[in-house]
Formats: sequence, structure tokens, C-alpha cells
Amino acid sequence: MAGTSSRSLGMPGVSVEPGDHLCAFYTGQQERDDVMLPYLRAGLHAGDKCLGIVDSNEPASVMNDVGDGIDVDACVESHQLELWKSTDSYLRDGKFTIDRMIEFWEETVGPAVRVDGFDFVRVFGEMTWSLRDMPGVEYLAEYESEVNRFVPKYPQVIVCLYDLRDFGGGLLMELLKTHPKVLLGGLVFENPHYLSPDEYRSVRS
Amino acid sequence: MSITPSPEHLNTDIALRDQLSSLQGLLVLSMVMTDSTDDHHIVHLAATTVGSLGDVRMCGIHLLDGGWQEATGPCQRSEIRADIEAQFVVLNSTGGALAIQGERWGWAYPLRSPQGHFGSLVVCADAEPDAHAQFLLRVLAQQTGIALANARLHGRERSSAEELRAANTALAETVSALERSTAIHDRLTRVALAGEGQQGIAQAVHELTDHAIAVEDRYGNLLAWVGPERPDSYPKQSVADRAAVLERARADGQPIADAGRLYAIASAGIDVLGALVLIDPEGTAGPHTRVAMEHGATVLAMELARLHSLAESELRLGGDLVEQLLAGTLDDTAAHARAHALGYDLERPHRVVAVGSIDATADHDAFFHAVRRAASGAGVGTLLAAGTGTVVVLSDADQDWNKFREAIDGEAASGACRVGVGGLCSRPAEYPRSFEEARLAVHLQEAVGSHATATTYEELGVYQLLAEVAHANGVEQFALRWLGPLLEYDDRRNAELVDSLSLYLECGRSLDVAAKALSVHRSTLKYRLQRIGEISGHDLGDPDTSFNMQLAIRAWHTLTALRSANR
Repeated sequence: MAGTSSRSLGMPGVSVEPGDHLCAFYTGQQERDDVMLPYLRAGLHAGDKCLGIVDSNEPASVMNDVGDGIDVDACVESHQLELWKSTDSYLRDGKFTIDRMIEFWEETVGPAVRVDGFDFVRVFGEMTWSLRDMPGVEYLAEYESEVNRFVPKYPQVIVCLYDLRDFGGGLLMELLKTHPKVLLGGLVFENPHYLSPDEYRSVRS
Repeated sequence: MSITPSPEHLNTDIALRDQLSSLQGLLVLSMVMTDSTDDHHIVHLAATTVGSLGDVRMCGIHLLDGGWQEATGPCQRSEIRADIEAQFVVLNSTGGALAIQGERWGWAYPLRSPQGHFGSLVVCADAEPDAHAQFLLRVLAQQTGIALANARLHGRERSSAEELRAANTALAETVSALERSTAIHDRLTRVALAGEGQQGIAQAVHELTDHAIAVEDRYGNLLAWVGPERPDSYPKQSVADRAAVLERARADGQPIADAGRLYAIASAGIDVLGALVLIDPEGTAGPHTRVAMEHGATVLAMELARLHSLAESELRLGGDLVEQLLAGTLDDTAAHARAHALGYDLERPHRVVAVGSIDATADHDAFFHAVRRAASGAGVGTLLAAGTGTVVVLSDADQDWNKFREAIDGEAASGACRVGVGGLCSRPAEYPRSFEEARLAVHLQEAVGSHATATTYEELGVYQLLAEVAHANGVEQFALRWLGPLLEYDDRRNAELVDSLSLYLECGRSLDVAAKALSVHRSTLKYRLQRIGEISGHDLGDPDTSFNMQLAIRAWHTLTALRSANR
């Protein structure tokens, strides 16, 4: 079954498994694009549903940059490619809540698999929005932990993009504990000791 | 049968995995820090990680070469920081327990790497953290030290690479400048060796600089021009401006800009021979252009010195020939042969022209060259010789001699001069006679006290007749018979009766005109004429007497001039 086989991340020699939740670290927008764009292109070429949230630029800009022989307009029209701004997703209504964000993914990933019939869904989120002084951003680490509960429900991979220039060591440590895999410098590191959502909650309580 | 772990065992497992996960996180964080080349970023990552490793709080990071970073909590207070720094001396580079005011537990973890000790990570807590948290803190400090060492090594490599790049760039610029300088030198050396002269030098500098180039002599006269927009009338500076520009260029020892031009002087020692001038109204001449100008001026100096030396030789040889011709020591054949050797045609009819400076203190050399330039410019002639206060030119063409005299006045700094022109010479043997005539013409001007003018021997009239009388004694006796008492009176009293009488008679016996010429009052002149009548015993009202006295005066002037010419 296509939805259960490993998928290329778009970078040479790097593949992921359905149900993976990765934390991808980068430095600056160029490195972000070096991770994000190949990931999207590989998905669009493979016929995967591609969902993403950008924060430091506009979705249209990302669509323009995907290019590489891909008919982006057709992908958008067929809903294979859907991109949102952070203010329409993570920070919808001017605040962040874990439950509403998980619901957002349910409402977007679920129909893509159940209704539109995509075998596989690629999700990414640019996380720089969490640096803003907005209500609820302090629940970021807990949210990342909860995503681990959501990700096995569908044939999907979720990649969370973090700019190393902006996040402090403490938050990085929390992110490393809440992501089973980390993408850094073109390599994927597994964390076999990562904590499940319930375990993480019990440790932090 | 399934085994369900007890809640205690489950909690221990979660805690253990949390610790292992933290260690795993530290390793990844270490990669992030090691990948960074910025001290501040590394320190910030370390400082913000401390709180996630256990129940400990960050106090600050103290770098040996950077002081306190990320100071927070108790370390925001300077006295506490000073107290901790005092404890560092005891702890040395091994770290250890710290007494931090208001905190129950404090610790300094050394930031170390194989490259050395960079400082300390200072933390505090309400109680001593468990062993695992302390282990993680020690790992964090160690990884931070390694990351700092790596960042500094990278910084030094980058600095070395930049220094090397800068050195290479400087070297490349030096080589490029040397190549350009060599190209300039080669081009101008070829010009010098090929003997292309002033025009060739101007052409070469024009090609090297893309600017119009002028070659000027020391006085600012144009010798050569290469480039567009050659002016119809070449602008010439005033003598004072010219001297100021040349002096400034000589003092600076490099090309100088003045009024849209770049001047590089061509000099031999302290003598300025000329100038190379780059037309640069926009003032865009850069260092390479200046180098080309300096090289060009050096080659021009050699060329002008050569021409100067050649001209000096020609002048000297020409002067020798003129002196021998005037002295009559050469026969016709020898004179023509010497002239041919100098490239001069002596077979054309010539006149001897004598030029005397009115200013007895004038610089003889400067006066000679002023006459030479004027003679060359007016086409009077090129064979000259210098005597005391007089310059002699052999002229092969009849001229407007007053214009020639004015040209000399324009060239000479010493003021006005007198010009005397001898009679025509059709063969070398006649030059001494023409020379005597020219000198007589000059000395007669002096004798009659005339203003600066030019006189040809043929124009002397009765003076010419008197000068050619074979027995000068008879002329002198005639003059003394009519003027004797007056000459004696003038000589004894230092008076001007003869000059006053001369002017009165030359002015057609007009009291008004003569008084004005003498710059005396009419009644003064009238009184003098009365005294002249009393002393001489002659009646000036008698036409015969008046004529004889005028002739006697001219005779006396002629004798004076002849004596002066023969001295």
C-alpha cells in the first residue's frame, strides 16, 4: 500500500516513514527553502497531498518558488497543494490553542485522505510565529507533544521548521524531547527516548 | 500472562527516558552550537538551556576575555558578580561550588576544550540538584567550551583567510601598478631612443592618458600639441603666474593641477627647461595619469636639455664666427666655409645690427637671450654675438627696425634698448664697416640723448657726413670754435647749456616746444638762451650764426659717438 511505504524527504539519501513527526532546524530563509521546497516538490511529483503553513513570507511566494517543472496552478486547483498563512491557522483569531490547532489538522488532513483519496499527506509548518507575543504561544512544546498523538491517525509526515537563530536552548531541548526525529544539517537523528504526550505531560506537571 | 508494571516502576522509566532524552537533546544542541561561528549565539543557547536541565537557574556566563554574558538573577548585581569573580581565582579552571549571596546552592562549571579554558557557566538553585542534572550541566558547559573553541578557530581561520585575500589583492594591485608603470616607461623609452622629439613625447603621453597634451617651453610658449581641441591661439600665462606655477611644481616634486591643467615640469637640476601639460578641465587625472606625466616630464627634460645644449653650441660657434667677421680676421673664402659648416648662408647681403641696453646694470646673459628670441621671432637673423652692453645680430633681411626693437623690449626684463643698423654688406670683408656704422647709430642716439629708438646708418643725414670726414681734427676745431666757451661752462658748472641750445635749434627755434621737451619753464629756457648768447658771444638771432651753431652741435655729437664707438 502506497500510504505505508517510506517517502523521500526531497534531499539525497533522506527518507521518512508514514507517521513521522520531524523537527527540522535551519538558519535563515535560504536554509528553510532548502528543506521546505525539495520536500514539497518530492510530494507533488509523487502525487502526495501537500499542506503547509508559512510565516515569514506569503504562500504565493512559496508557490512561485516551488516551480521545477511542476504545474503549480493545477496542483492548487486540484487541492493537491494547499498553503496557509500562520495568521489563518496557528494564530487564527489572534491566539494559539492546542485543541483548535489539532482540529485544524483534522479538518484538512482527514478529508484529504477520506474524501479526496490521497494515499499520503505531507504537512509542514514554519514555527517562527511562536516567537511573537501572542496569547497561547507558551504552549508550543505541549502542542508539539500532542501532534505525536495526531500523526499516526493518517498516512502522513509532519515537518516542523525552526530557525536556530531565533529559538533559545531551553525551547530547543523541549522540542528535541517532543519530536521523535530531528532533521539537522541534512541528517535525520532519531530520539528513541522521546516522551509520548501523556508521559511528557506527566513529567512537566 | 501479562505483567503490568507498577506505577513506581512506570514513573522511574519515564524519568529515566526524560533524562536520556535530555542527554540526546544536549548532543543535538551541541551540534547546533558547534555549527555556529558566533560567540554570542553559542553563549545564548547555553544560557537558555540551563533551565530545561533540572531545578536550576541560570546566573550568567563569565568569559575570561569577554566578561559577563547573559547575566541574570543574582548576577545582575555588580557586587555579586565581583564576589564570584574573586572566587574564580581560588577555583581556577576546574570549577566548583560558589557562595552566591541569597542562594542556597551555586556552582561554576568550566567552559573548557582541548584548546584551553574560556570561562565559567554559573548556575544556582534552591537546593543541590540531583546527580543527573549536575551531569547534564557539566556536559552543557563542556559542549559550550568546545563550541567556543571551534568558533574562535573558525574566526582565526577566516581572519587569516581575509588577511591572505587582502595581501593578495594588495600584491595584485602592486603588480598591476608596476606593469602599468613598466608599460609607461617602455613606451617613453622607445620615444627617447627613436628620437621622436617633443611631438613624439606628447603623442606617447596622449596615448597613455587619453588626454590632450601640450609641451611648453619655460616661458609657456607652445612647442608641441597632441589631442583634440587644439586652441587657435595658445593661451599664455602672465610672467608672474607662470613663475608661480613652475615654482610650485618644482617645490612639490610632482605634477600639480592649476586652472584645468596638470603641469609636470621638465627640469635639469634647479633649471626649469619646460613643462608637460595635460589638459584636464574636469580634474579627472588619476594616479596612473600622474605616473605617465612624471615619466613623460623626465623624458622631455632629457630632450629639452639636449636641444638646449645643441642650441648653446650653435650659438657659441655662431658667436665666434660673428666676432671674427666683425673683426675682419677672416677672408671671404674662410668666412663662407665657416658659415656653410654651421648651415648658414653668408652669401646673401647682410646688415650688422647693434642692440644696446639703456639699463647699464642689465643682466648681459638675459639681455642676449631676449635679443636672440626677438631676432628669431621677427626673422631678423640667427647669427649673434654678445659684447659689453651690446648684442650684435647679422641680419639678412630689411625690417621695420622699430618693431624689432619693441619685440626686444617685450622679451627683455631690463626695459628699453637702442637699435643701430649698419649699412649693407655684400661680402664678408664689409662686415667691420657695417659694424662700425651700427655702433655709431647707437652711440649717436646716446650722444644726442634721444629716447629709445632704432636708427639705420643711412638715416643719419649730416651725422653720416660728419662721421665720414677723413680729418676729424678739422671737425673738432670747427665745433670748438662755435661751442668752446659753452662746453667749458657746462663742464665747469655741470650745466646743460649745449643740450638746451641743441634742442632749441632742433625744434625749429620754438621756445614752447623746446621748453616742453626739456621739461623746463619757457622763461627758464629764455634765460638760458640769453646766457648762451652772453657766454658764447654769438647772436642766436642771426640765421648764419644759428646754422653754424646747430652744425657745430651735430659735429660735436658725432665726435662723441665716434669716440664712444672706438672705446
